[in-house]
Amino acid sequence: MVFNTGAALLDAIVLAVVSREKEGTYGYKITQDVRTTIEVSESTLYPVLRRLQKDECLEVYDRQIDGRNRRYYKITVKGTAQLDLYRVEWKNYSVKINELFEGGITV
Amino acid sequence: MNRIEFMTELAALLQDVPVEERRDAMKYYNDYFDDAGQENEAQVVEELESPAKVAATIKADLGSTSKDHGEFTEKGYTDSRFEHREMPAGREQKENSYHYGSSQENDYRGHNYQNNSYQGGCGNEEYEGHGQTPPRTNSALKIFLIILLVIVGLPIILPVSIAIIAVVFAGIVTLVAVFASLVIVSVVVAFVGVCVFIAGLVSLVPELAVGFALIGTGIILTVIGVVATVASVRLCIIVLPGICRGCVWILSRPFQRRAVV
Repeated sequence: MVFNTGAALLDAIVLAVVSREKEGTYGYKITQDVRTTIEVSESTLYPVLRRLQKDECLEVYDRQIDGRNRRYYKITVKGTAQLDLYRVEWKNYSVKINELFEGGITV
Repeated sequence: MNRIEFMTELAALLQDVPVEERRDAMKYYNDYFDDAGQENEAQVVEELESPAKVAATIKADLGSTSKDHGEFTEKGYTDSRFEHREMPAGREQKENSYHYGSSQENDYRGHNYQNNSYQGGCGNEEYEGHGQTPPRTNSALKIFLIILLVIVGLPIILPVSIAIIAVVFAGIVTLVAVFASLVIVSVVVAFVGVCVFIAGLVSLVPELAVGFALIGTGIILTVIGVVATVASVRLCIIVLPGICRGCVWILSRPFQRRAVV
């Protein structure tokens, strides 16, 4: 991969991954899901999740699984709004870049 | 390094972050190991690289809130400077009032992610070519150096410390023996005095003069012995605990200092 993934894009990807699960999802699964799309190291996502949680884009709760408490992340209303914003921004951005790359540029 | 070692070291490295942060991070990685399953444990440990690195990642995100380091690469990032960046402040969607349905997701998934830096709502990220070598944090370097020092110094430190311990031990044993012998000598002198006194009493009948001499000597010896016993026991009581305390103090000094670090 030649291109960097900015922190905002990573936030957007994580929000998108979490938002797919209505009941919320957990750290290991989020990492695996994100990894199907981009390469991230296993230690990358914790700070992202923590920050999104602090920014109230994600909420956490513990659920009993196999006799232990697993921490679940769930998208909040604010997080959904944020994700929508990211989607719009991304759309604009990628359309512009595509136009530039694939010709038909009229400045 | 296995999971337990990893988590223990991580906990130690996170001593200086707020309790809540530490608990949260420990919970996350503990869950992570649980969910990865035992069969993937080694792989996860390997991928996380080192507790120092994970701790640095966590601290980097806690530490500064400036927006200078808003970039990292998928491969190169991990270390330290993973930076906090505020949510785009303006929720208003500018001139774009159109909405994207759920097809949007598939749409951008299809792009193969040929993207680079995102011009977020705040527009504060700058694109940074191939910045793949973020600076290592100080604490990580320090820990690395300490580990290196231990590894390099082990062949020297180990025998030297064994020798020091042996010498100290020998010194303690010698001191105890010296004081114990003082006590024993005094007790023996007192005992001999009693014996001589009894011998004097016995020989009083056949030879009066010898008997008196022996009785006198016996009494003197007994008194000297008793006094010496009391004195040496008292000396032991005063000196030995002092020596012990001194030894303990000397031995514990390096450990105390390490505990502070």
